[in-house]
Amino acid sequence: MGLLGWVTLLPLFGAALIMLVPQEEEAIHRGLGLLTGIVTFVVSLLMLSGFDAGQAGFQMEVNQSWIAPLGIHFHLGVDGISLWLVMLTTFLIPVTLLSPQAIGLRRIRVREFTAAMLILETGMIGAFLALDLFVFYVFWEVMLIPMYFIIGIWGGERRFYASIKFVIYTLVGSLLMLLAILYLYAQYHAATGGYSFDYAQLSHLTLPATPQLLCFVAFALAFAIKVPIFPLHTWLPDAHVEAPTGGSVILAGVMLKFGTYGFLRFAMPLFPLAAAQAAPLLAILAVIGIVYGALMAYVQDDAKKLVAYSSVSHLGFVMLGILTLNPTGIQGAVYQMLSHGISTGGLFFGVGWLYDRRHSRKLSDFGGLWAKTPVFAACLLVIVLGSVGLPGLCGFVGEFLVLIGTFTAQKLWGPVGLSGYFMAPKLLGGIAATGVIISAMYLLGMYQRLMFGPLDKPANRAVRDVHGSETWVFGIMVTAAIVMGLAPQPILSRSEKSVEAFVSSYRDRLQEAKRAPDAPPHIYPALPAGGTP
Amino acid sequence: MSFDASQLLSYTPLLILIGMGCLILLAETFAQGHARTGLAWLGIAGCVGALIAIVAGWEGAADPQTHFQGMLVVDRMALFLDGTFVAAALLTLLFAPPYLREQGFEFGEFYAMVLFATAGMVMVIHATHLVSLLIGIETMSLAAYVLTGCWRRNLRSAEGAIKYFLMGAFATGFLVYGMALVYGTTGGELSYAGIASKVPQAAKSPLFYLGEYFILVALGFKVAAVPFHMWAPDAYEGAPTPVTGFMAAGVKAAAFGAIVRLLGTAFGSPLLVFDFTGWASVLAVMAALTMTLGNLAAIRQDNVKRMLAYSSISHAGYLLIGVVASGLGVVSAKPAVLFYLASYTFTTLGAFGVVAWIGNRSDERLYVDDWAGLATKRPAVALAMTIFLLSLGGVPPTGGFFGKFYLFRAAMESPQLYWLVVVGVLNSIVSVYYYLRVVVAMYFRESTRALAPTDGASMRLGLLLTAIAVVLLGVFPGTLVEWAGSVALK
Repeated sequence: MGLLGWVTLLPLFGAALIMLVPQEEEAIHRGLGLLTGIVTFVVSLLMLSGFDAGQAGFQMEVNQSWIAPLGIHFHLGVDGISLWLVMLTTFLIPVTLLSPQAIGLRRIRVREFTAAMLILETGMIGAFLALDLFVFYVFWEVMLIPMYFIIGIWGGERRFYASIKFVIYTLVGSLLMLLAILYLYAQYHAATGGYSFDYAQLSHLTLPATPQLLCFVAFALAFAIKVPIFPLHTWLPDAHVEAPTGGSVILAGVMLKFGTYGFLRFAMPLFPLAAAQAAPLLAILAVIGIVYGALMAYVQDDAKKLVAYSSVSHLGFVMLGILTLNPTGIQGAVYQMLSHGISTGGLFFGVGWLYDRRHSRKLSDFGGLWAKTPVFAACLLVIVLGSVGLPGLCGFVGEFLVLIGTFTAQKLWGPVGLSGYFMAPKLLGGIAATGVIISAMYLLGMYQRLMFGPLDKPANRAVRDVHGSETWVFGIMVTAAIVMGLAPQPILSRSEKSVEAFVSSYRDRLQEAKRAPDAPPHIYPALPAGGTP
Repeated sequence: MSFDASQLLSYTPLLILIGMGCLILLAETFAQGHARTGLAWLGIAGCVGALIAIVAGWEGAADPQTHFQGMLVVDRMALFLDGTFVAAALLTLLFAPPYLREQGFEFGEFYAMVLFATAGMVMVIHATHLVSLLIGIETMSLAAYVLTGCWRRNLRSAEGAIKYFLMGAFATGFLVYGMALVYGTTGGELSYAGIASKVPQAAKSPLFYLGEYFILVALGFKVAAVPFHMWAPDAYEGAPTPVTGFMAAGVKAAAFGAIVRLLGTAFGSPLLVFDFTGWASVLAVMAALTMTLGNLAAIRQDNVKRMLAYSSISHAGYLLIGVVASGLGVVSAKPAVLFYLASYTFTTLGAFGVVAWIGNRSDERLYVDDWAGLATKRPAVALAMTIFLLSLGGVPPTGGFFGKFYLFRAAMESPQLYWLVVVGVLNSIVSVYYYLRVVVAMYFRESTRALAPTDGASMRLGLLLTAIAVVLLGVFPGTLVEWAGSVALK
């Protein structure tokens, strides 16, 4: 099955095991879940140590025939981009399973919650590693179901509404994506006579301009909903606010990245010309998202909603970075995906912790907690500053690289001759930079209203500081935020080659698509001989 | 004309089903009270025997062989669907006994009727002659009318049976009239091959088209495609729940098998498929209407059984996409339809099985609200129902997902059908909404009402088998795809 197969399927086996333990044994469920999460993390560390940073392509590939009559292969592989997203997943899941707040206030059905989290992990890792579009689609949908249950069973007051909305939004995008996948499959057959869903082969298929644009729209819609890009973000505040803490952490920490990852891995390489045509619009929407999300966050009184909107804003940076199409911007985007996973994950842990203690998320119900909970206050401070983008903490590196990439975007694209590809980079970068400033305003404002001021609400006097496994949860998140801020190089150096390869192959294929925009579907560049499975 | 009895050997499954049905009728006179439940085991034994005979005949059926002067054929498509029908009958026989006992109408004839209906389906799919098709359809339908109405205390059952019967009789009229017109315009041909050979001359007469469409209308009634679906919700809702599953899966699969065979052979000439008068565009429009109306009506239902009835209508629409694609020359469309029918059969029987499981004599618990808290009280059943509902909605990793994927993949090979696939996909999204309503009730809400399900060991076995089958078809569909694919080669 290979190392990647194990990383993907271990959590699923763990979930099956947990479901066999009788309902009452909650301690065993928790223990087994945590153990599975940790073992998966260790296996993913093996993957990390075996990863060759000097190689741009996919490594440690697993390629087994799955549904032979249709040419579907269980094909997994890791490159410098998916490597870190998988690490983020395997890192966040055990931390979430460790957190006593993850399950939310109604601590029912621990067994099912743990199993759902682990099935979700399998879905996420599989989708990050999938190199066969059918396999990708299956894993993509597999994540949907456990998250639906996590929101619906363990969520808050409006959980029915939020969970259905989440599912319908996601399905609208993903089923249209499925259509585009099937179209690609048929066109690949027309061009080569072979049947394949394999990414390595389909990414050589160059479609004529019009179908390319339609397919790109189908893919982009699926991913844009996931990111979420303004104005498709409306499911996100509902889902986040209603989800239990663990659901919010994973939703924001990992699942949103499927949108941006999908653009990088699928939507842009498969449809280079259409992506270039749509890029100005997407860039504008990304910047609108940055500012809009930040302003919406600024006016929230509900801490969870505030953090949810901050995700809209931060993911806008990631989108912007990807659209710069230069290595700096994309490296920044990749880094921002990871740091957002840590910092927003940490913020949701923090908000969940407060909600657990006080049964309120309203900022106006708090104040002066610093005196009662010094350890929590210190941890939250680091995480908040990391999210704001203070130099030395995780958020700074990504945002900084994205902004540099944005400001230099035009230069890079001049020689390709796509004038107007990336409109007014200085203007876009300038507006995006205001997002950083507003993020300092709302996040520090939130911190201030939670921690400082007089301790005038009687209920706040009884709040007990972090203890037990909570200490571990916050300790781990704070450590990760600091390490990522101080030593970005080990991460960036491993993704560098893949990002550069992405940019150069994208430019190459874009020129091919521009050379003959109306040529019938054809293979470019030629497939490596004997490379077909 | 001579009758060669040795040809009967090729129809062992059919003979087993009929023979066992007669045996049950005989044995019924000696069985009293609850002992009549034991007759179900005779029926199950018959189904197992028929399955073995089907498997044994599979290799030999690689080359189609016609028998009885072109009345019947044995080929892989027929055997594939035979297997589906017999599996449906077997599962129905597992679900029915506890249900009949709980509701207090244990008739021994019930089990015989299930086998006779199955024998009719087998006949329908083996038919290569309009007369044998008619005999098969009538055998199947008459048994189905009886099964629908056999719950004599229940008014809805009687209402459903009457509606089903009247509409069915009407459809038979169409079928026979259509046959007469085809017979007249082709110069006396009723066998599929004969009709196909005379199409060029016969197509000059509008009466031939009238005959062709009359036959399609009759089959449209049987699959409950819009606008011939009116009887279905009432008949499905009124029938005893295990019977509903059997009708929604088996009868539909048989009629689809007949449509695929008829349109692929007798009416397969390009002359009849394309153009203004061609059936491809007519069926494409019907497919779109069937999917959309079925789903829109299902959204509004609070009664789970009725909702599943409407959803079953919409699934006929998805299947019609495959039929149209097959007509447009997509080779993989036929296996896709067969796979879809197989996975749909397991899913539907499972879903109606849970509906049969949950109620009892005094309270059928058919409304969505009645399902609240099922996940807490009976997690295994709730999980099974979730699997069936996700499969109906086409969410991986279930057989329903792969069936839809396979079907849409085939349709995407024909650019004329892109619009239809888009309609299908949008409908899938709509359908997930109402399927999830049941999941919401089962998992997200709690209820203090006591649960007193019908239950029963054979029911549990049936649910276990269907749930496993649905998941296996989703995760490892390869084998079944290969079997279905070997059908297309001939």
